[in-house]
Amino acid sequence: MIFGSNHIELVNGAFWFIVSISFILLSFITFLMIYFVFKYNRKKGKKAVNIHGNTKLEIIWTVIPVILVMAMFWYGWIGYRDLKNPPKDAMIIKVTAQMWKWTFEYDNGVKTDSLYVPVNKAIEVNLHSLDVNHSFFIPAFRFKRDVMPNRNNSIWFLPATVGKYDIACAEYCGLNHSAMYSKVIVLPKQEYDAWMKNELAKKNASSTQLPIVIDSTKVK
Amino acid sequence: MHNNGHAVSYLDYKGKHSGIFAWILSTDHKRIGLLYLMASLLFFAVGVTFGFLMRLELIAPGRTIMDAQTYNSLFTLHGIIMIFLFVIPGLPAVFGNFFLPILIGAKDVAFPRLNLLSWWLYILGALLAVISVFLPGGPADTGWTFYIPYSIRTTTNVMPALIAAFILGFSSILTGLNFIVTIHRMRAPGMSFFRMPLFVWSLYATAWVQILATPIIGITLLLVTIERLFGVGLFDPALGGDPVLYQHLFWIYSHPAVYIMILPAMGVISEIIPVFSHRTIFGYKFIAFSSLAIALFGSMVWAHHMFTVGMSETAQIIFSLLTFLVAIPSAIKVFNWVATLYKGSISTDAPLLYALGFIFLFSIGGFTGLIQGALSVNMHIHDTSFIVAHFHYVMFGGTGFGIFAAMHYWFPKMFGKMYNMKTAKVGFWVLFVGFNTLYFPMFVMGWLGMPRRYYDYLPEFHIYHLISTIGSWILITGLIIMFTNFIKALRSKTTYTAINPWGGETLEWTIPNKPPLENFEVIPTITAGPYEFKDNDEFLMKENN
Amino acid sequence: MSTIAEHTVGHVHRDDIGSRLGMWLFLFTELVLFGGMFLVYAVYRFTYQHEFHVAAKELNTSVGALNTIILLTSSLTIVLSIIAIRKNNKFLSVFFQISTMVLAFGFLVNKYFEWNIKIHHGIFPGSETLLGKGNGEIIFFGLYYVMTGLHALHVIIGVLLIEVMAGYTIKGRINSTNYVRLEAAGLYWHLVDIIWIFLFPLFYLIT
Ligand code: HEM
Ligand SMILES: [Cu+2]
Repeated sequence: MIFGSNHIELVNGAFWFIVSISFILLSFITFLMIYFVFKYNRKKGKKAVNIHGNTKLEIIWTVIPVILVMAMFWYGWIGYRDLKNPPKDAMIIKVTAQMWKWTFEYDNGVKTDSLYVPVNKAIEVNLHSLDVNHSFFIPAFRFKRDVMPNRNNSIWFLPATVGKYDIACAEYCGLNHSAMYSKVIVLPKQEYDAWMKNELAKKNASSTQLPIVIDSTKVK
Repeated sequence: MHNNGHAVSYLDYKGKHSGIFAWILSTDHKRIGLLYLMASLLFFAVGVTFGFLMRLELIAPGRTIMDAQTYNSLFTLHGIIMIFLFVIPGLPAVFGNFFLPILIGAKDVAFPRLNLLSWWLYILGALLAVISVFLPGGPADTGWTFYIPYSIRTTTNVMPALIAAFILGFSSILTGLNFIVTIHRMRAPGMSFFRMPLFVWSLYATAWVQILATPIIGITLLLVTIERLFGVGLFDPALGGDPVLYQHLFWIYSHPAVYIMILPAMGVISEIIPVFSHRTIFGYKFIAFSSLAIALFGSMVWAHHMFTVGMSETAQIIFSLLTFLVAIPSAIKVFNWVATLYKGSISTDAPLLYALGFIFLFSIGGFTGLIQGALSVNMHIHDTSFIVAHFHYVMFGGTGFGIFAAMHYWFPKMFGKMYNMKTAKVGFWVLFVGFNTLYFPMFVMGWLGMPRRYYDYLPEFHIYHLISTIGSWILITGLIIMFTNFIKALRSKTTYTAINPWGGETLEWTIPNKPPLENFEVIPTITAGPYEFKDNDEFLMKENN
Repeated sequence: MSTIAEHTVGHVHRDDIGSRLGMWLFLFTELVLFGGMFLVYAVYRFTYQHEFHVAAKELNTSVGALNTIILLTSSLTIVLSIIAIRKNNKFLSVFFQISTMVLAFGFLVNKYFEWNIKIHHGIFPGSETLLGKGNGEIIFFGLYYVMTGLHALHVIIGVLLIEVMAGYTIKGRINSTNYVRLEAAGLYWHLVDIIWIFLFPLFYLIT
């Protein structure tokens, strides 16, 4: 685990597993095509042989792929199962999407434009949309979840490494869809606590209900 | 083979009408096929231009040649045109119309006038789509998927686009219906189902998908139209509707639609490979039945477009599992095609190159489909340019190359002219290289987290976008080479009279080039399967002389 | 060969079984089309059980029942017209076709008044009264208007179809040896009837 979150291992694992098998099969198919084209080229003047088929072969190349894809399915499924079931002690953050920005609200009422989280703590994000469909996508953490106006989706992750990562919108949402970026900022525990204390103080000091803009790391 | 010297070709006979009306009011399946060909190639050119412009915009981050609104409209129009006006009608309506009756030894389709009506509906739908671009409000910017709620919020001309898609769907239904009845009722004596060419089998499976799935999209788009017009609460979440229900309905059609696009292309490949190997196809029945299996299972995997929506866990498992299983019949086809090359007598003319290109590109499309079918990986790559690459490999590398293969294969039959073989091969290789340069980087970007339908992007993706855009130039060069080759052939004075240039065994190769009005002078009687190639020795001798 | 020009293929080829097969396939697509809407109905009925219950009470069951009877009768008359033409009774066949159209017209008039009353009560898509109600009721009436409206559209198309058939019958193009077109129109009319048979309980009866 170099970057990001707990999900990476299983997602990358499944990905490279399928890519490897696919690569081997594709190379095999391509090799055979090229080999046959040269070996049985008409220029060589050999007579073609009418072979109508071979049931044994058909069974082999049905059964083996079935086994392979079942393995792929399984690998994909265990990673997903992991993503679906948050631990009980996950910290809950409310995420609101609208055209074309993200707002994050912590359980103490603090609102921000970027998502600040402590490292090595399970985070569950509850996703809401004020207008159209969006999708909450953190490429570095290998997951996304659609954010819809009538549905309360949620997803969890465990940020494993301190750092800044992009949050993108992955469901087309109109004009500035491609500018709907934000950041997830993973801090060491103490820094996070200090930051949160500061935010809370700011919030209590300010009389307005407006969300406070702390960090304009908006990428665009 | 009969002496058809006196039969007037379908291009030349005089009917009730003259001038252009002899064409646009003709009920002859070949003329209708040609009408579809011209119209769909015209739209293909427009779609390619839009694709080219999008790629140009993406050559560097930030604004390059257009604003975001234009870009959003462009990918919407590009998608609508390519899907509804090019790939869906591309094989069934063009080559199916032209060759289905000939391949089964019939004089025409079952309902020739209905056939003409389909074409007119196609044109009507297309015109509406074109008009929507120029009406005040601007072209639709929803993507070809028309997802709710955005499609009922945006102020652009979504309605004409929706109605256009609805009408185009109707056209497609009527074609499917026509083909099913034709195949059931009009086969020549002796043409049992298992003596039908595999292209006919694939059209048969496609036709069933067309008539079973298309009405769903029809009604769904109609409901969205009504929703926009009258503010009826059907899908709008503000009125209690469910956008997810819309997505289900949309994909219940649109996923099978993917098979409407790919099945006939597989049929074309199944024709070409045995002919250019000059040997019988390996596993005829397995290929025929795998078409039906694809049509059947393909109708049950629609929700794999919606894994990130948040369905129940059981639904996710079932749809993921079925998605993996639907790959099997396609794999069976690929293996049988490759096995057909074995111990053949292979001639690498342009149609075969396109067919092998199809197998390679379609396989990549299929394998990357497996990657997306894996639930955990899907959470990462869904709605990224990985998907864009995947569906271009399937729809363009698959169906698109299938269409090009069909054009090279049947060109001499349709027009009585022959293109330059060398140029055709050069065109293929340029296209092939351009294609991979254009789309392969999108897999990489997608895996690295580049979302799709993005007008702009982070600097770290620049290099991939740049390569991809350069690829689009190479690809378009390939297209130009291919089409100028065709046009040159069409304009040349020399007619091509060899009626069986490739040594095929199906019925179209027994009738004159530019077939006459009713195709056959005497309806043939069929005594054997379509790929027997009993004349191996003579054929070899002829070829070697 | 100038004769090629004359016989266009459509005229030479006559295949009643093929035509019937084609018509059945077409009806099948129509069923799937309405099936899509029934699916939407089912999903929302499941989501908003209570609201659908309340809303359905506002519909007038006896008007619906009357329309059901009208349509059923018209299905009968169209069958009778086919039987009549088979027995070569042109007059009777035309009579029954006209009866079918009259009944269909009655259905539409009835529907018109039903909708009119609803609209007078302020229940129509986008109206304030309706928007004031719960989400489920908005959807119920949305579906009600869309589904019965689309069905009414099919009734109108059916009437036009039968009108053309009546014309053909009078001119003798439909006769005792060639009546497959009338049969097709009849099939279409049964479809219109069957769809209503589903709509009626879904909107008027189940409360
Ligand atoms: C010169 C050839 C082509 C180029 C340069 C091209 C390029 C593109 C680009 C840049 C996009 C936008 C991707 C995104 O932002 O999501 C796109 C989308 C798409 N393309 Fe192509 N494309 C080409 C040919 C085709 C062909 C032949 C087909 C169909 C067979 C096709 C079907 C589509 C579809 C369905 C979309 C999705 C539109 C949407 O997201 O709503 N394209 N293409
Ligand atoms: Cu968004």
